[in-house]
Parts: sequence; structure tokens; C-alpha cells
Amino acid sequence: MNAENRMIQSVGHITMIIISGACLIPFLLLVVSSLTSEQSILSNGYSFFPQEWSFSAYEYLGKASEEILRAYGITIFITLAGTATSLAITSLLAYPMSRRDFPIKNQLAFFVFFTLLFNGGLVPTYLIYTQYFDMKNTIWALIIPGLLMNGFNVLLMRTFFMTSIPLPVIESANIDGAGEFRTFFSIVIPLSMPIIATIGLFQTIAYWNDWFNGLVYLTDPQLFSIQNILNRILTDIQFLSSGMADSRASGSAQQLPSTSVRMAIAVVGAIPILIAYPFFQKYFIKGITIGAVKG
Amino acid sequence: MVQKMKWLSALMALCMIVLSACSSNGDSNRETASHSGSEGEEPYELNIVFPIFGGVPTDLQAVQDQISNLALEKINATVKLTPINFGAWDQQTNLMLTSGEKIDLMMLSGNTYPLKVAKGQLTALDNLIEEHGQGIKKVFDPAYLSASQIDGSTYGVPSNRDLATNYSFAMRKDMVDKYKIDVTSIKTLDDVEAVLKTIKENEPTMAPLIPSAVGASIADSYITYDSLGESFGVLPNFDNGLKVVNLYEMPEYAELLNKIHSWYKAGYILKDAATNKDSQFDLLKSNRGFGYLAKTKPGFDEQESKNGVAVVSVPLTLPVATTSSITGIMWGIPGSSNNADKAMQFLNLMYTDKEIVNLFDWGIEGKHYEKVSDNVIKFPQGVDGTNSGYNLFMGWLFGNQFLSYTFEGENPDIWSQMDEFNSSALKSKALGFIFDVDPVKTEFAAVTAVSQEFRLALETGMMDPNKHLPEFISKLKSAGIDKIIAEKQKQLDEWAKSNK
Repeated sequence: MNAENRMIQSVGHITMIIISGACLIPFLLLVVSSLTSEQSILSNGYSFFPQEWSFSAYEYLGKASEEILRAYGITIFITLAGTATSLAITSLLAYPMSRRDFPIKNQLAFFVFFTLLFNGGLVPTYLIYTQYFDMKNTIWALIIPGLLMNGFNVLLMRTFFMTSIPLPVIESANIDGAGEFRTFFSIVIPLSMPIIATIGLFQTIAYWNDWFNGLVYLTDPQLFSIQNILNRILTDIQFLSSGMADSRASGSAQQLPSTSVRMAIAVVGAIPILIAYPFFQKYFIKGITIGAVKG
Repeated sequence: MVQKMKWLSALMALCMIVLSACSSNGDSNRETASHSGSEGEEPYELNIVFPIFGGVPTDLQAVQDQISNLALEKINATVKLTPINFGAWDQQTNLMLTSGEKIDLMMLSGNTYPLKVAKGQLTALDNLIEEHGQGIKKVFDPAYLSASQIDGSTYGVPSNRDLATNYSFAMRKDMVDKYKIDVTSIKTLDDVEAVLKTIKENEPTMAPLIPSAVGASIADSYITYDSLGESFGVLPNFDNGLKVVNLYEMPEYAELLNKIHSWYKAGYILKDAATNKDSQFDLLKSNRGFGYLAKTKPGFDEQESKNGVAVVSVPLTLPVATTSSITGIMWGIPGSSNNADKAMQFLNLMYTDKEIVNLFDWGIEGKHYEKVSDNVIKFPQGVDGTNSGYNLFMGWLFGNQFLSYTFEGENPDIWSQMDEFNSSALKSKALGFIFDVDPVKTEFAAVTAVSQEFRLALETGMMDPNKHLPEFISKLKSAGIDKIIAEKQKQLDEWAKSNK
């Protein structure tokens, strides 16, 4: 029995080690490549043990820092502002929907659910945001379209409120004389930290990694986020290699950053989110399981 | 909505007034015409959309201001430059065009151009060119200017650059000197083969022949037929009595593939040519490659040598002008422009005004370049291509490149040579024919997929053509290439009838 248990254990461990290795090794290669000299990448290809180490990619980033720093600033701003606003809106919508004594909760739930299944499509969405809300080339374009509120998050939070906040708690707050707002902010929110952390993490990652809004709504490079810059470099390279560009474009090819610089930008873009992750983790697991069970 | 319509009709009325004011003055003198036509009017802001590589230059605003000053003086308009990255170009311009965002001038490329015309997103330019674009007409051979016509109307004006193409063999200069290769004696692929052999014997670590770009095959850069758009159905020798044939069934094609395959077997071609992800410059720089077949134009050697390794090239074919060599880069006026007349007047300046062209091409004098002599410039002290505040260097895009200054050390006669190159070029019999893919788009997608599967491996010599070419052809046939060729023939016949 014991031996069998141990075998299951070790098989599980090995599987997990392989899976986490599959996740970690490419990232390690990315980091190593960013620290390899351009010449050795060109002549030997990528390697975990490069012939020649070099910090020149990071030195280059340091020099070109104005653009990168600005982009970093933009990314941090939209992530913080977007996540905070998004959490506020999501919880304020999800809470009434979770209350059984709220008269139009079913209609509201349908309304939210509907957006999960259908959306306006890219062109009409673009039309509305650019011509009626004038969001093109503004910071709002990075915060609002597609990201600010997500029906899935609302439903997740509603389920959490319904299942994890006992009705008697709310009733007793009511008896003690708390109004709806007081009940919400002093009782419900503190009890809901797991789900708030979970959705906060979802939103942080979504904002941090978003490049699509920038691709669609921005032509002004002053507003580019770090992901936009990375995406721009990658798509330029793809374009150059697609064969559509001919010899004319080759003169411009020299302006593109070298391979190791591309890797360095990717590292710089990914590290903050890696650092943030462990802080969320303890809530994360709890939040997602409680929120998801009993849909 | 009603409010919007009112504004729209007011604007339309305004345009009509401007239009009639301009035309009443005739085209006796363009500049005075626009001056008198625009007295007391608000200057019109032209939104100019064009693609760029890499980051937006830091001094773009300053250059834009200078261009605006000139345009204000000459045609009472200002400009707003909207650069978009090549990678995002299709997506963003599509959205801008479908949502009707105001664009007055934009770059058009040959492959997406017919679709934009079919969607009605572009303004027909014929009358506008007559009225405001006499300078443009003077620049071009009429056959070149009308190459972009669709159903008899022009929707795009090509930029004046290398309008023809020839194919050459480009080699590293240091190796050519080292092994005393007589470049003038290289005329055919057999001569090229002899050079490859020399390199293979003396430089065993170097691949004598590499692809001309990432994702390009060897045969891509040695073309003796008019591809009529995308090579599914071609005109051999740019004529063939306008009879479209299947490229992949031509004996010449099989012969070329056999030659490439024999080169590959002899080790003359980069081993992973079909999957290579390094640019030709990187391959040369890291001593992994010696030379490549390339699409060339006058000044090619200097342009390529800028990327780090000096290159010499020898032409293998004569220059030929085809529809795609001309329509590759054009300027058009989208339907969303509120003032197509002003847009055309400005476009005319881009082909006639030396100051404006050079602002676009090189930036501001004293800041981004210094004059060495009248038409020759250099970087100011401490400035180079990487730290200049205006480093687009895209003369081939902005109107008339022939008015552009040349850089010190480059051939100052380049533009007269280019002119000679363009005017001496053989004109393909199908010059001006643009294939409309729409009727056969299902087959087209299927054939493209098959072609992607085989073409690169065959044309870089990795696959044996004796075994795989027949398979390739039969798969193309079952994907419907014959239907595409028949449709192309039909359209070509109609085109020939209406153009005779």
C-alpha cells in the first residue's frame, strides 16, 4: 500500500517536473539568448551555453530608454488604472445580481451573459469607439475597449457572492442598521478577498499583455505600451520575411533591433508579471475554485 | 445622425465651391490658380497615411511643420503625417477605410489595390490628374502611368522610382577580390555555377548561394516570365502572344529546378535554405553565405552594401516592366477625403517640388543632412543613420524619387541611370493588366496552400524535382489551377480587346 502510494507520488512528481520544465526551459532560453552576443547567435544559433556572453542588448535598451521607459510607464498606468476600475465596476455589478431580493437580477444576468456569446465584430466596434467616442490615439483606447468589463468575470464574482457570503451575515448587518453601501463595503468586500484577488490577477495579466487595442486604435507611438512595441517589432520582421517586401525594403531592415535585443525586450516585458504572480497566488487558487463550483 | 448629415452636405457644398473655383481658373498656372481659388479660406489639413519600418522618427513633427509651411504657401493646405508600421498596415488601413476615417492620401500596394477599388474605397483620379496633376503626367511614360487602370480608370499613381526590374547575381566583394573572379564574364546561370564551384572549393564553411531574403526561394530571384499577379498562370518571355500558361508545367521551369537541385546536391546552396530565418545580410555578415540571386535596380550594390558587407552584382536578365513592378507602390486618394482636389494638388507637388520631396526623403537641411554640393548631401557631424532624428530613408515611397538628393559616396548620376533603366526596359505585353481574383477565390486559396507546401522546398533544391514536381503539378491541378488560368486568360483577352 505504502509502496504503491509512493509510486503514484513519484509518477505524479515526474509528470509535473516534465510539465514545468516544458514551461520553464523556453523561458530560460529566452533569457540566455538576450544575454548572448549577436555574433554568436548569428553563427551558432540559439544555445543554452553561448560561446560569448554579452550585455549589449540591455545596454542598447538602456540607451533607447526614452521610448522603452515611456512604454513601460504607459503599461503600468493602464494596468493599475484599468484593473482598479475594472474591479470596481465588476463587483458593483455582480453584487446586486447575487442578491436574491433584487427584482431584475435574472434580466441583468441575461444581459451580461449575452455579451459572452455575441459581440459587434471588429469593424462596428472600431467605428463606435473612434467616431462616436473619439478614442483613437488616446489613453482610453488602451483601457476601455474589450478589457474594462468582462461578462465572465462578472458571473464568476456573482457566483462567489451567492455561495460564499451567507445570507444571514448580510441580514444581521441589516438588523444592526447598516445600509446597503455599508453592508457592501464593510462586510461583503472584506469577505471576498479571494475572488477580488483572482479577478484582479486576471485583469492585471490581461492589461499587461494586451497589444491588440494598441494595434487597432493607436497610430501615435507616444502612447504605445511595452507589448505594442514588442508586437510592432515582431510584425515588422514577419512582414520583411513574408516575401512581400522586396529589395526596396531591405535598406530599412537595418533599423530593426537585433535578435538579442528582441529577446531582451521580451524579458523586460515579462518579468514584472512574474514578480507580481506569487503575491496573488495564495488567494488565486481559493478564489477560482470557490467561484467556479456550483455555477 | 441628422446633425451629421447636415454637416456632410455642408462639406459637400464647400467642396463643390472649391472645385468650381479651381476649375474656372483652368490649369494655366497651378500655383496661382490655387492661390486665387483659396483666398480667405481656411487652409485644408491633408491626412497623409504611409507605412514605415521600426520606430517613428523623433523629428517627424518638425519635418511635418516644414512641409506644411511649403504646402500652405503653394496650395493653401497643411499636412498631417500618419505613419503606420508595416506589420499593422493592412489591419489599420482596412479599419480606417471601412469606417470612413478621413484620409486624403495613402500608399497603395499592388496586391491589395484591386480589392480596395472593388470595394469602392478609392477615388478615380483621371479627371483630377488632368486638372491638377500635369506635373505628374510629365514625369511618367504614359504606359507606366496607366498601368494601374482598372476598368479604364486610374485609382493610383505609382511613385517614380525603379519601375522595371532585372535579376542579378550579387556577391561578397571581399571574396570576389580574393579569388579574382571576373564579374564581367558572368552572363548566365552556367557562369554563376562556375563561381559557386570556386567558392565551394576554397571556402568549405561558406554556402556559395543563399536565398535573397527570408522565405524566398532561389527561383524567386530569376524570373523570365510575367507572373500576372501571383504566378498561377504566367506569360513566358513577357509576351507569348498573350497566351497564359501554367508555369509549373513549363519545360524551362523543370530545367531550372533540375539545375537548382544539382547545385543543392553539390553543396552550393545553404543547407536549410527552405527553412532559413536569417536575413541575407546576417548570413553574409556571419560568413555563412557568399552570394544570392536578387531582384535589382541601378544603385542596388550601394544600397545592399549599407547593411554591413560590400556587395557587387552582375545582371543576368534585361530590365522588364510589368504591372506588378509598377503598381507595387502607388499613391491614391480614398473616398473619405473631403477635398480630393487639394489632395491631388499636393500629390502633384510630391512629383514636382524638389524641396518637398527632399523633406520627405531626408528631413531638414542642417539638422538631418548637410549639402556637399547642389545635389549631394551628407550627414552632419555626429549624426548617422541610427541616431538621426529623421531616418526613414524611403525615397522610393514619397512621390518622385528622381528629385531626391544623393548621399555623398553614392553615384550622383543615379537618377539619370534609373531613368535610362526605366525607359529602356522591355514592356511586358500584359503591362496594365490587373487580374481580378474574386471569381476564382476558392480555387485560389486551395492552390496557394498547395504551392506553399511544395514551392520553397523545390525551388531551393531540397526536393528532387524528378520525383516531386509531377506530384506538385497534379496536386495543383486537383486544387483547381486550370480554372484560375482559364479565368485569367478570359480576363486578359477582354483586357486586350478594350486596350487595342
